[in-house]
Amino acid sequence: MDIRRIAVLGAGRLGRGIAENAASKGYDVVLFSQGAGGKDALTRIEKGLDRKLAKWGITESEKRLILGRISYTQDLKELNKADLLVEATLDHLHIKRELLRTADQLCRPEVVFVSASATMRISDLAREIDRSDMLVGLHFIPPVTQVSVAELVRGERTSEEAVETAKAFAARLGKQAVEIEESQGLVNPRALVVMINEAAYMVDEGVCEAQDAELILKKSWGMKQGPLEMADRLGLDLVLNWMEQLQLVFGPRYAPCPILRRYVREGRLGVKTKLGFLAYTEDDSVLTEDEGDKED
Amino acid sequence: MNIFVLNCGSSSVKYKLYAMENEQVLAEGRVERIGQENAIITHQSTGKEKISKTMPILEHTVAIQESLNLLTHAEHGVIKSVNEIDAIGHRVVHGGESFSDSVLINERTKEILDSLAELAPLHNPANVTGIRAAEKIMPKKPQVAVFDTAFHSTIPPHAHLYAIPYSVYQRYKVRRYGFHGTSHKYVSQRASEMMGRDIADLKIISCHLGNGASIAAIDGGKSVDTSMGFTPLEGLMMGTRSGDIDPGAIFYIMKKEGLSLHEIDSMLNKHSGLFGIAGVSDMRDIEKGIEEDDRLCKVAFDIYEYRIRKYIGSYVAAMNGVDAIVFTAGIGENTPAMRSKLVSNLPYLGISIDEDQNKKRGEDVEISTPDSKVKVFVIPTDEEVVIARDTAKIVS
Repeated sequence: MDIRRIAVLGAGRLGRGIAENAASKGYDVVLFSQGAGGKDALTRIEKGLDRKLAKWGITESEKRLILGRISYTQDLKELNKADLLVEATLDHLHIKRELLRTADQLCRPEVVFVSASATMRISDLAREIDRSDMLVGLHFIPPVTQVSVAELVRGERTSEEAVETAKAFAARLGKQAVEIEESQGLVNPRALVVMINEAAYMVDEGVCEAQDAELILKKSWGMKQGPLEMADRLGLDLVLNWMEQLQLVFGPRYAPCPILRRYVREGRLGVKTKLGFLAYTEDDSVLTEDEGDKED
Repeated sequence: MNIFVLNCGSSSVKYKLYAMENEQVLAEGRVERIGQENAIITHQSTGKEKISKTMPILEHTVAIQESLNLLTHAEHGVIKSVNEIDAIGHRVVHGGESFSDSVLINERTKEILDSLAELAPLHNPANVTGIRAAEKIMPKKPQVAVFDTAFHSTIPPHAHLYAIPYSVYQRYKVRRYGFHGTSHKYVSQRASEMMGRDIADLKIISCHLGNGASIAAIDGGKSVDTSMGFTPLEGLMMGTRSGDIDPGAIFYIMKKEGLSLHEIDSMLNKHSGLFGIAGVSDMRDIEKGIEEDDRLCKVAFDIYEYRIRKYIGSYVAAMNGVDAIVFTAGIGENTPAMRSKLVSNLPYLGISIDEDQNKKRGEDVEISTPDSKVKVFVIPTDEEVVIARDTAKIVS
């Protein structure tokens, strides 16, 4: 089947990134979200594109072209027009299953489903849908438009045809799809949350300020962002969610650091609330010491 | 002999059908927005009404088939059947070091072309897609590839090698290739015809000034240097490309702005040149800005002219003289003020131009005065006819 229209379920950072990436490669994209935050998804994508424009990464006409290819809706009936479905919602098994069941009824039978889930098993997600052989795991890593690798996982019933479709989709998005065994947390999320958690402990224990931990880790490993900024950009609620899911599977080595729980409880969620381990400006850049007080 | 010339881009196909006996264009057209539901085909057979239609065209095979349908159409076409086409000539952007001339396409050629995709990722894969599509529709017709780089294959090592570790050239073939070769070849040959002299006896500098721009030093009919290099980014200032820049400045900008490779690439290719200085990339807008006393439009115009002048000076030195300078492509053909300014800034070459001739458009014209020591021409380029000629020559 010639794939031209992509449906993306979930308008969080991951869903928006996949939508932008797909649109920039010529796909028409419909972004679905039933949450309240979804409505400003297009505005947030546009803001991100404006930042790329300011850094010369795209042109004004490329920005218009990308935005012109993405639409947003809350009406799931629109799913019947999709040629490929990408599920990029928060990792809650029951919510995901319910959404996939609905999508299963609305999408044409030949449409392949791709789940970007980090901590759910594809075999578990596929259990209650008719097209269980058409569900593939393809975990995109934020910032989606910049990371050139994705983790591909097949479930117990996933067909070769669905895997090939997912690989071709990843390739068109400019990503190498690396296939790994089905395992919760995959490779990137599993290693990342451990690093984030350890850095969070250092801050919680008073070993160093968050910005100093960032400075040391960034400079020593040649990273553009340290683990705490990565956590802030992912959303501390998402990081906590991943850790809780992984703790259920792997036990106490994924027990979240208390500061993580505290920040989430306080609504201090990272970039989206302009404050997490670090503070952020209106255009989501890290607020430096010269620009303001990081600690509230 | 009828030759079908194809120029396939990633989402477009341009075509021309030639009767080679008198090099007459029988029909021409283009298909745009390939891959979309609303692709547009524009077609005109010589002496007939121009037609245009919108339809879904999802890939190049369909685009080429549609163009053949129009060529053989009872009302809009010029031939009765595809059998009247003798061969197909393809424009291919990059021939690397493998192809120093046009070549008959066979399995081996296609394999080499596939391997060259890395050198011209935006163009070569689309060119090869066109070759495979045409082959699918007309499997028995001979096909010829005509390369933009081939004309520059005569550039000697002292001009095509960069002064970087030689192992980089050995490993990755990083060197000057040059582009617009088919255009430089056409206009230099045409200039020698207009001068009534054998091209083997002439030193010609040709200036292909379009949205992309390059300049070539052609000694005795052979390219000996050109301004574009490993990629079309080097050389003259262009619509949105920077042309020459100190590589050290690139590292500094990347560090200060925290730019990725993609961002600096995009900055130099899409946000620089006329656009980078003046905010507009079209020379007509630059000229309009100058009329309105826009300072940056004037600066952009001056840089553009100065860079061409510098290259002309260096190519005069490279060839130890020049007999003719030729201007072609959008800006080269349609900007008399640029040509006037350039020539007035080169008094040591003994050039003088006739301003009335300089204002002519759309025809081959000598704009220098009879007593000018260096002849200056404006010659609208015709890359397709060179592709058709090479194709006819190879399949004959």
